[in-house]
Amino acid sequence: MSTLKPETRDLQKSLEEDVEAALNPGEAQGYYRDTRECAALLLIAGAALLSPPAPRPKK
Amino acid sequence: MKNLSGAVCDLASEVVSVLRDGDHRAVISPNGQGPDAELGVAAVRVLGADVLLPSTLHRHPAAPGDLRLVREAVRTFPPGGDASASTEWSHWAMREALRRHDPTAAAPQLSGAAPDAAWLSRLSWQELTHQLAVLGALAVPPAVAGPSPVVAAAAPRTLDLARGFVRAVRRRDWLQAAGAGRWLAVLDSDTSPVPATLGLDAGLDFVLRMGGADPRVALHAHAARLLRAGAAG
Repeated sequence: MSTLKPETRDLQKSLEEDVEAALNPGEAQGYYRDTRECAALLLIAGAALLSPPAPRPKK
Repeated sequence: MKNLSGAVCDLASEVVSVLRDGDHRAVISPNGQGPDAELGVAAVRVLGADVLLPSTLHRHPAAPGDLRLVREAVRTFPPGGDASASTEWSHWAMREALRRHDPTAAAPQLSGAAPDAAWLSRLSWQELTHQLAVLGALAVPPAVAGPSPVVAAAAPRTLDLARGFVRAVRRRDWLQAAGAGRWLAVLDSDTSPVPATLGLDAGLDFVLRMGGADPRVALHAHAARLLRAGAAG
């Protein structure tokens, strides 16, 4: 039994640290949808879709 | 052994279930402890006074098992000498909830003065929103939970909190948005109204839809909806 006591103490200490961390979270990293990036992607995708097909030699 | 955040989510899920049903039943299953008893008590400490929220808002007597575990969490995880303000306030809110729900069980660990709340008034609107969202369990109307220095400090800053709510939604930080929304639901009054242009009800629906898979988000959002519906008015 006596060998378990330090483990129990460690577990309790670890739980206390986890509880303290859970009660004091930092602000979560937010992420925005960047309008400029979206617009650039849209333009590139649009340009690719709207470009005329490659000319083929006439038979 | 499961990790603490998993246990907190499980417990929050139970709270949401009882909160939504409005039933008079225990949040914590009597058989739900088992070998992870310490983890369960730690989860109760993290969720704080919200474990008793269904009883508070629906005005039911709290289940004896819930009260016992909240009491155990208060005793097992007291704020240390270097504890942060949110840890101290969370502990204070649990003690107050216990005092309300179980007035006969006055114990030495339930006594103690309220921590300082003056620092809240010095925070920027972004910091205020973050701190109040962390202290979401304290967002309960004084008419139900009695006077709270945190509610008093936050009351004049509904406009700041409304800005914080919008910022949290734009950042897709659903937990902060739900916590801020719950505070706005508590603080909305004639003297410090929440701007109608915010569209708080639609905003709460959106937050619940986008972030409701996280039971902690669902807990705050459902609590806010109940408060908006006047459940605890």
